[in-house]
Amino acid sequence: MTSAAVEVDDLVKVFPAPGGEELRAVDGVTFTVGVGEIFGILGPNGAGKTTTLEIVEGLREPTSGRTAVLGLDSRRDRAAMKERIGVQLQASAYFDNLTLTEILDLFGSFYPQAFPPAELLDRVGLLEKHRARIKELSGGQAHRFSIVAALVNDPEVVFLDEPTTGLDPQARRNLWDVVRSIQAQGKTVVMTTHYMEEAEELCDRVAIVDHGRLRALDTPIRLINALPDAYRIVFTSERPLDRGELAALPGVNDVRVSLNGAASYELAVAQAQQPLEAFIAWAARNGVVAGDLRVLPATLEDVFLSLTGRALRD
Amino acid sequence: MILLWRLYKRWRRRQAAAAEQPAALPAVEGPGGTRPTGHPLPKLLVASLKMLVRDRRTMIFALAVPILFTVIFGVQDFNGVDHVKLIVIRPAHATAFAQEIATGLQHDSAFRVTLVVDLAAAQKQLDKGKTDAVVVIPAAPHHALVAYYKPDSSNLDFADSSLNRFVDAANLRLAGISSPQLHLAERAVEATDTNYYDFLLPGLVAMAVMNLSIIGVAIGVTRFREQQILRRMLATPLAPSKFLLAQITTRLLVSLVQAGIILGLGAGAFGGHIHGDPVWVFLFVVLGNLVFVNIGFTIAGRAKNVDSAQALAQLVTLPMLFLSGVFFQTSGALGQIVKVLPLSPLVTGMRKITLDGDSITKVGPQLGVLAAWVVLSFLIARRNFRFDDGGERRAESRLSLRSLLPSRPS
Repeated sequence: MTSAAVEVDDLVKVFPAPGGEELRAVDGVTFTVGVGEIFGILGPNGAGKTTTLEIVEGLREPTSGRTAVLGLDSRRDRAAMKERIGVQLQASAYFDNLTLTEILDLFGSFYPQAFPPAELLDRVGLLEKHRARIKELSGGQAHRFSIVAALVNDPEVVFLDEPTTGLDPQARRNLWDVVRSIQAQGKTVVMTTHYMEEAEELCDRVAIVDHGRLRALDTPIRLINALPDAYRIVFTSERPLDRGELAALPGVNDVRVSLNGAASYELAVAQAQQPLEAFIAWAARNGVVAGDLRVLPATLEDVFLSLTGRALRD
Repeated sequence: MILLWRLYKRWRRRQAAAAEQPAALPAVEGPGGTRPTGHPLPKLLVASLKMLVRDRRTMIFALAVPILFTVIFGVQDFNGVDHVKLIVIRPAHATAFAQEIATGLQHDSAFRVTLVVDLAAAQKQLDKGKTDAVVVIPAAPHHALVAYYKPDSSNLDFADSSLNRFVDAANLRLAGISSPQLHLAERAVEATDTNYYDFLLPGLVAMAVMNLSIIGVAIGVTRFREQQILRRMLATPLAPSKFLLAQITTRLLVSLVQAGIILGLGAGAFGGHIHGDPVWVFLFVVLGNLVFVNIGFTIAGRAKNVDSAQALAQLVTLPMLFLSGVFFQTSGALGQIVKVLPLSPLVTGMRKITLDGDSITKVGPQLGVLAAWVVLSFLIARRNFRFDDGGERRAESRLSLRSLLPSRPS
């Protein structure tokens, strides 16, 4: 036995691709999720996030490698494992012609123990909709329902596949609260996302995957701090500035300029104080008025960029 | 029908009212935690039945269309025509003789008589098929009673024999013979009293069952797959076989209701005849339904999406609908070939029971072919339908001949 909630060991999944080639959707991924964590798998579309989750959930056979949940092998102990996990695939993956109550009641009956539907709906503010059908719900409501439907059996590990895709920012924040409430009950949450701010905000640890390979795995803060340039000094200027002079300032590693409306400048720096002092002195000497001057921390987006050489949402 | 419509309207109004009025919220009994659940099958059956009955498209295919056919054919008169429409031309100046002949025609129950004087107008009516014959009455005896027919009239034989009978009787009466020494008494000798409607009813039952199961399963299950519902079910401890069992059982129930409604409506409201024991009809319905459900699952297993499932289902059902004798018997070599299609033994077997009053012992060949189809279609379905293929097979899914052949289960 082990104390890990999820173990993924050298997982490989190869799909036959058109033209006799093969697509290595998951290419030797290894990680462990601790009990009580919110664990994020972050990557662009097609990175192998969903395939990895589905193999762990026992919905897909791996080409090689081993996965286990709560010490139960995803293949050998599949039946026992399924009773202790909750799975959300996507928002619409429920029956059109049943009411929310009927769906929860039905799914509950598949498990030895289940929550009463009203209690579940109440948890995500959908009690008033108990007689509605899925198609009568808003996008955010449908997503909340699909998550709460994964909780009918009071699972110990909950898998959420892109739980907020397609939602507006308000509905997304609303959903983050739901996910945090699951963690607050001592559950483990494993989720995929391609929103870096979501992973940063919500996840205790993040696995960054691309082309089926694990690129980095750590807490969001540590991933960002490991970047050579953990901060950015951002400002605008009415008159064009000389890039070379900015790059020559002490502590400035890179200069990015974007020209939409007023020219906007970004100085990539490892730590903020020394370059900031140097910049302010330089601006005063040259009569430069730096508008909207801010120091921003780097984000997971920058981590992804530095790891793969391309932006997350390309 | 009007009554049904009113009931439906009232139901809709109630539904609308219920939707507007915020119903009492179910009680939330504190943080009670999980409760033990019962066996999943009863809930699964009830839920599957609700899904099926609430699915408008399935209900239109499975119930509305067959019921509509039952009613439409039910209000037609298939017992044949029992009278001859006559336009009778009287001579310009009325004589007592002509009047007597005209009255005789009017009082003869075989004729519906319209009296006119204009021959040209009457012949136009005949041309348009508005009347079966035009008869010109002579003014005096020993002249011919002239009858104009259209040689292609559907009622020609009846009109001809009725007029001949009328002329003979009139001659006897005119000759003063009131009690002829010889008369003809005709007795129809038919084993059972059947017409086209009686022939059609079992066909409509077969059509309803086929539509429910082939089209219904093909579209319904493909939609489940498209919406990832099958995979979502697979993520629960529920055995897929139980889900399939519920799907099949609910369709069996609905198909029995279909048969009951069509036969009940046809025989009860529109005078159709059922001569044998209806129990055997229901046995055929069950067997046929099993075959069609298997075919539906086969299509769902091969179709890329709901549209292609619907197209494939139509491709399978439409030829059977017209070749396997739902509306008419297929004759000749083609008739021999289509005998092996699963719809044929279903229709023929049910007809032997409802039309000929046969007992179950006399429909052995039909039962045999149907039972063979149950087994064969199950093997084909098992090869082609996967509860969830994880999207891996979809790229190559197309209906090839080889894929239809049963193979050893993997």
